Amino acid sequence: MMNNKVRNYKTGKEGEEIARKFLVQKGFRLIESNYSNKLGEIDLIMLDKEVLVFVEVKLKIGDKFGSPEEMISKYKLSQIRRVAETFLVLNPDISKRLVKYRIDAVCIVLNEDKTINRINYYENVYE
Amino acid sequence: MLTKVLSIANVGLQGVEIEVETNVAEKGFPGFGIVGLASKAVEEAKERVKTAIINSEIEFPNAKVTINLAPADLPKDGSCYDLPISVGVLSSIREMTMPKEKAYFYGELSLDGSLRHTKGVFLLALLAKEKGIKKIFVPRMSANEASVIDGVEVYPVDNLKNLIKHLSGEKLITPLKKVETEEILDDIRPEFDFAEILGQEQAKRALEIAAAGGHNVFMMGPPGSGKTMLARAMSGILPNLTEKESLEVTKIYSITGNIPPGGSLIRQRPFRSPHHTTSQVGLIGGGSNPRPGEVSLAHRGVLFLDEFPEFGRNSLEALRQPLEDGLVNISRAAGSVTFPAQFMLVAAANPCPCGYLGDPKKDCKCSSFQILNYRKKLSGPIMDRIDIHLTVPAVDVNHLMITKDEINNNEKSEAIKQRVIEARKIQNQRFKNLAHIYSNSDMKNRHLKEFANLNPEANLLLKQAVNKFNLSARVYFRLIKVARTIADLEKSEEIKQNHIAEALQYRIKNDE
Repeated sequence: MMNNKVRNYKTGKEGEEIARKFLVQKGFRLIESNYSNKLGEIDLIMLDKEVLVFVEVKLKIGDKFGSPEEMISKYKLSQIRRVAETFLVLNPDISKRLVKYRIDAVCIVLNEDKTINRINYYENVYE
Repeated sequence: MLTKVLSIANVGLQGVEIEVETNVAEKGFPGFGIVGLASKAVEEAKERVKTAIINSEIEFPNAKVTINLAPADLPKDGSCYDLPISVGVLSSIREMTMPKEKAYFYGELSLDGSLRHTKGVFLLALLAKEKGIKKIFVPRMSANEASVIDGVEVYPVDNLKNLIKHLSGEKLITPLKKVETEEILDDIRPEFDFAEILGQEQAKRALEIAAAGGHNVFMMGPPGSGKTMLARAMSGILPNLTEKESLEVTKIYSITGNIPPGGSLIRQRPFRSPHHTTSQVGLIGGGSNPRPGEVSLAHRGVLFLDEFPEFGRNSLEALRQPLEDGLVNISRAAGSVTFPAQFMLVAAANPCPCGYLGDPKKDCKCSSFQILNYRKKLSGPIMDRIDIHLTVPAVDVNHLMITKDEINNNEKSEAIKQRVIEARKIQNQRFKNLAHIYSNSDMKNRHLKEFANLNPEANLLLKQAVNKFNLSARVYFRLIKVARTIADLEKSEEIKQNHIAEALQYRIKNDE
């Protein structure tokens, strides 16, 4: 019997893996994954041509507990923005090169047998 | 897809048409947002609408839903936008067909998708009639309010599912039949009958005059003498509201949510007795989004202020404008509104803080300073506006044991009410061509020339009295109005000397 924390961490990892593959297929380049500082964590930091993209990944198994979109709150988005800005300050070599950045979200729903039900990709979710 | 649904917002007693625009966008991060100066109650509509739609077995769109309440600069408050918002969302995702002609949607949703009683439906119907809107969709519980307005088809809606079926033509909702106002008469028995009140014949007569002409009354007497009982019994001798009056009162009651579910026009004259701790705003009306106060809820009825001097000084002095003009103007940052407040003031007070000043049997324990302070509350300008001043003395113990015969001998409220109704009929006939004037007390000074009809002896007595007692110009006009009512009770065409004499008797106080 796996305990919940370990299981959630594993699903999270799986989600990030699916999202990474999905975005790389779209032509994004991975810069860093699971970047974290004391303000919080960003699942994926990627590069879309000349734009730095901070990606929040949400994965749900089954639809019993609502959609992954509902789980991304306004608070979560502003937290990501704060972490992202800290990342830019702490990595001047990147921020000097890239002027623009945005926050995207990848929402993944898996079936109970772990096959992919849907992947939804949302660009520029922070308003 | 973008859809537009019509509804209304209420500013004071006036409805304003609101366009509820709903956009369900497939692009963009999913969410549900409302713009257009929505208050907290409107913001919370999101959760109600979402849950109600899901509980109506329809999938809520996983898309970016934006609601705009136009005009965007008018603040919107209340739960009445639940229905238009859900209609907007449902028709945007093509789960519902919009009606071909313009229609108003209005009502609060319950989480299970049914509609709840919502205040203000009466005003919605009035605005629909004014704007030429033929159909309105309202909660079934509130639909009766609208059914008295002709020219508007009122569709009572039980829940979202029924509305969807109606609009798709699958199962039609039958519109309510127009109810004739004459049919609506609820008879509520008053707490006390005048026959139960022993003695106090003078007070009973004075209250009869007050009820017949809508005059203000002030009663002073020791504790336990029956002031409160008299005032409460008064609701039993008031005639029902006429049709025009009823429409005015129903407007106020609809907007404040005082009409019970399933209720319709208010036909009973309001009788309001706010407690003396009522704030100024509670009494007069106000708030950042102005709401009517007790004076407006007592419109065309009785405002009974028991323990009059215990009310806050600010509240009492604020009564001046409504007492004189029959309306209150409330100006706030959000705007200024006018509420009608043509009420009949019935006030009761003790003569002093301990209550026994001038009592033949008990001694008064108050210092003259205390009495002075107490009386200060009863300021000249307010007392000047009260036509009938009464002293209600304590009743002798020997009169207190009531026998059945005595109750039967005493005049019943019903008999007094008949006389009051007769007198009101004469007044209605007299003022039939004047708007918003229904009783003698509503008359403005310019109307007195036309309607007073004093005979020469009465005129002479009045002049003498004014000179001798040094009465103000306002009192002069008010005396004529009371005398007019007394004459009407006697079915006398002209005001005679004895009518003026009786009116004077209620005016001149012994302790002045």
